[in-house]
Amino acid sequence: MKEETSKVPENLPITGRFFAWFTDPAHAKYIIGFLVILCVGLFLADFTYKKYGHFEAETYKGFYGAYGFIMFTALILAAKTLRSFINRPEDYYGSKAIDSEEYPEAQLEKLEHSHD
Amino acid sequence: MIDMMPISFLFFAGALLIAALPKGSSGAAISLFIPIIAGWQVYQLPAGTFAEIELMGQTLEMMRVDKLSRVFALIFCIAAFLGNLYAWHVRDKVQQLAALFYSGSALGAVFAGDLITLFFYWEGTAIASVFLIWARGTIGAYHTGLRYLIIQIMSGVILLAGAAMLWRETGSIAFDLMTLNSLGTWLIFLSFGMKCAFPLLHNWLQDSYPAATVTGTVILSAFTTKLAVYALARGFAGTEILIYIGAIMTLFPIFFAEIENDLRRVLAYSLNNQLGFMVVGVGIGTEMALNGTASHAFAHILYKALLFMSVGAVLFRTGTSKASELGGLCRTMPMTAFFCLIGAASISAFPLFSGFVTKSLIIDASAKKHMVLIWAVLVFASAGVLSHSGIKIPYFTFFGHDSGKRPKEAPFHMLLAMGLTAFLCIAIGVFPDPLYALLPYEVDYKPYTPNHVVGQMQLLCFALLAFVVLMKSGLHPPEIRSVNLDTDWTYRKAAPSIMLSLGRGLGELLRSFESALTSLTKDSLTWLERTLGPEGGISAGRPLGIMALWIVILLALALIVGYI
Amino acid sequence: MMFDTPTAIALSMLLPAAGVIANLLLRHSANLRDSITFAVTFATFLSVLNILANVGNGTSETYTLVTILPGLSLSFNVEPLGLLFAILASGLWMVTHIYGIGYMRGNKEKNHARFFACFSFAIFSVMGIAFSANMFTLFLFYEALTVSTYPLVAHKGTSEAIRGARTYLGILFTTSIGIQMVAIIWTFAITGTLDFTQGGILEGKVSTTLATILLALYAFGIGKAALMPFHRWLPAAMVAPTPVSALLHAVAVVKAGVFTMLKVGIYIFGIDFLAETGASEWLMWLAAFSIVAASVVAMTKDNLKARLAYSTISQLSYITLGVALANSMGVMGGSLHMVTHAVGKITLFMCAGSIYVVTHKTEISQMTGLGRRMPITFIAFLIGSLSIIGLPPFGGSWSKWLLLVSSADADELMMIGVLLVSSLLNVAYLLPLVAKGFFLRSEADEFAGVKEGSSFVWFPPALTAFGCVVLFFYAGYVQSFLEPLIGAG
Repeated sequence: MKEETSKVPENLPITGRFFAWFTDPAHAKYIIGFLVILCVGLFLADFTYKKYGHFEAETYKGFYGAYGFIMFTALILAAKTLRSFINRPEDYYGSKAIDSEEYPEAQLEKLEHSHD
Repeated sequence: MIDMMPISFLFFAGALLIAALPKGSSGAAISLFIPIIAGWQVYQLPAGTFAEIELMGQTLEMMRVDKLSRVFALIFCIAAFLGNLYAWHVRDKVQQLAALFYSGSALGAVFAGDLITLFFYWEGTAIASVFLIWARGTIGAYHTGLRYLIIQIMSGVILLAGAAMLWRETGSIAFDLMTLNSLGTWLIFLSFGMKCAFPLLHNWLQDSYPAATVTGTVILSAFTTKLAVYALARGFAGTEILIYIGAIMTLFPIFFAEIENDLRRVLAYSLNNQLGFMVVGVGIGTEMALNGTASHAFAHILYKALLFMSVGAVLFRTGTSKASELGGLCRTMPMTAFFCLIGAASISAFPLFSGFVTKSLIIDASAKKHMVLIWAVLVFASAGVLSHSGIKIPYFTFFGHDSGKRPKEAPFHMLLAMGLTAFLCIAIGVFPDPLYALLPYEVDYKPYTPNHVVGQMQLLCFALLAFVVLMKSGLHPPEIRSVNLDTDWTYRKAAPSIMLSLGRGLGELLRSFESALTSLTKDSLTWLERTLGPEGGISAGRPLGIMALWIVILLALALIVGYI
Repeated sequence: MMFDTPTAIALSMLLPAAGVIANLLLRHSANLRDSITFAVTFATFLSVLNILANVGNGTSETYTLVTILPGLSLSFNVEPLGLLFAILASGLWMVTHIYGIGYMRGNKEKNHARFFACFSFAIFSVMGIAFSANMFTLFLFYEALTVSTYPLVAHKGTSEAIRGARTYLGILFTTSIGIQMVAIIWTFAITGTLDFTQGGILEGKVSTTLATILLALYAFGIGKAALMPFHRWLPAAMVAPTPVSALLHAVAVVKAGVFTMLKVGIYIFGIDFLAETGASEWLMWLAAFSIVAASVVAMTKDNLKARLAYSTISQLSYITLGVALANSMGVMGGSLHMVTHAVGKITLFMCAGSIYVVTHKTEISQMTGLGRRMPITFIAFLIGSLSIIGLPPFGGSWSKWLLLVSSADADELMMIGVLLVSSLLNVAYLLPLVAKGFFLRSEADEFAGVKEGSSFVWFPPALTAFGCVVLFFYAGYVQSFLEPLIGAG
């Protein structure tokens, strides 16, 4: 089923089909392309108005973009490093601890999407 | 004299009514109705102090209404309404009662004009809210709930101790601006800090919120911590140390959130990070910063509830909220996915969404004071918010790798609750002025300037770009089934074993002492009986004999003493 | 119909005494006997209220029955603390009597007549203690109370019950006769009087060292206050049927102990004298140790009544702590705690008993899932627990508040810490029963079909639980009632 999702229409609601378009690996290049264009556009936009700020750095063109990109990358890599120290198996606190136990079925309404 | 009924009593009356009525939709209806009336009342209340009562020789101010308390009370009413709407399907009276008692207590605490009233409601929120965790009915939830309760009650009793010391020192129990110059105020500060999930005191939050019921977490997310933010804003505005505490709070949770698998726990870390912004605002303490804190709390309650609602809906339909088990749900739960994206955009502070118009008040306030480091941290943390709440939550739940799960869309009442919340998130983002008008001070701030809009968009879009690069290069950490150690390790692993051996050791010690004592008394009694007491007799008669004997001895001694 | 104060005092003691006789005479007609006893409990309560109406929170003159020596007499009077104790004991006696009937019948216990006779005799002794005008009188009734409760503890007649009762008797007698009596005689030798006097009788007559020693003799001698290490009798007494544990070991006997402690602190030593000499500092630390240690032990107990017993030991030391802090707020807090703890703890014991009547379960781990079947009992237990922890809106929060204020006044930060830690320990050992009872299911779901017992059994705890709420709102009245104790009246 997994492999077919992008090909076989599943009788999804229209909004669902809209969203599903984004998840198709074949469409990833459009999304990435759009993002790149957006970023370039935003960088260029910095030249269209007078930048001011309380700190000098704020007035540099593309400062926020660079700061965002670098800090985000640093954050992810730092978190990854942190994980190697503090990661434990899910049942570390016991199989009946809150981290590993199942949510009680009786309080849920687990229903499948109906195909009609 | 009671001039006016405290608004919290409305909630308590509603709760009692639910208790009296038979199980059914009437309970759910009452829980919707009460916050509406209360919200209307709060909106109309004139400023001033009402409903003073005398208890134990103290004058308690149950209703202190001013702009600061009103804005918090108002959002609490809205949150209670939305949370209860989301929980419309719940027929469990315990949860309905707990939700009303809990939100009522939070409201009462916001209006408390003195520290004793504050303590009452403070503990009220603790007791009521734990039932939302216990209601899950599992062993894990039971243990987590107990841990949660102990920490919450600890916060309350520390508050009480601080209040006692402050009262004896200053002769006043009024809850006003305090300075950290005595042990009493430090204790109160600590108490607030525990509820506000200060660094190292924070872990109850991540431990307990994922343990509550689907609907319970939504309700929990709104009140306790924001009550603490209110209390800090009321009692410790402008306290410098809060700036640094807040800055650390914005930072450290984002790392944990990034590698956490349970999405409800990711949101709890994210909540912690958002509280950091508010605490910084309180610490800066300027009018602009306090406005920022109040408005950010307002917006935050909404989008955080929205995110918890969407993840809760997924849990409700699939039975799990773990990122490693989810993915691709946008196909069959598109509405939930849509609302989740709105929540994500709001928390990430995209222009036109609520976070944008509130968070910037705080960041700008820090820039105005030229706190470069704090400012840099806050901007970094803003990018961090995007990583876990803006990307991770929607991407790994609704998009990304297809888990093959095809759950049905969330039930109508949940969608309605999410829809209303999402509407408010956008409304605040697009038309911030009505919210600004509610804030404690005059707002002189324009969020929509090219400078601000482009800067923020750059920050977010380049961060998104970084995410894409990391995903493509395989550097982004994958979602795996696991737990991460945090400070809860100390009381979930280390302390129990220490306590257990301590308790056993103490018990052993006492037991041996006791048995020594018992045998000693028994021996002496037997000796006395044999030498002096009347022989034999039934068990009831024997002590009477000894008693008579001792009375004689006593009288004899008294005689001797009397004549010496 | 109103009586003058001496008559009312006499009545409040003679009525329970008459109850003893009625029970013994009518031992074969259960309903008549129980109804008459109830009438007696009610009449006793009324006569105590009669005294209240006469005296208010003032102090009446002393009525001497017999004088043995100059300065040594059997005499009675009314003062606020004693009156409060009398109201508490006689009021709760009514509730417990109803409960006792339900429990004894529901459980098919034997020897009802002896049981209720001893019960009445115990109340007679308590009234004597409450209205004692001097230490000598108090001591006599104190011993009478021990004796009268011994058959109650041994009631079941099993070897375990007899063993428990012997420990009970052994420790209480040894401490009272071996230690307390020495203190009393010593005091008499020094001062020539044993009268309870505002401001104390020892000031200026003993050195600090001697005062410390005397206080130690009193503190340990009053075994009923269960100050560690002389606490063992209380868990041992838990073999008794639950109504006994409820009234006697949550209210009458243990409160007689801390009542005596308060009386000694206030009227023999005098609070100011204690504060000036610092003679009570060690007692404060010992009480603090008792508070924490007993709570820790309570956590390890799975037997519900044993856990409650250790909880009582811990809570009694709050009152001792109040005396030892030696300031007005401490006395207030201690006295108020005597009331709030009594109402809270009797609720817990009655709930434990009602669980026992219905299911015959004694261990907490066996009660998982029972809350849904017995909601009234478990909600009452929850309320009692919250009151004992000291949470609003229940009475216990005020006594804890006063003790905190008292610690702040005495500048004893460690005591504030102890009170805080104790609250948390209380949460940890009291609330699991409620949480497990309501929210977890036992594997076998063995309680299917279990229902609340008869209304005789569930109504009394519900009533006292309501009392916890009432006390929250009216604690201020109790406080102003007690104001003469600290010389404010």
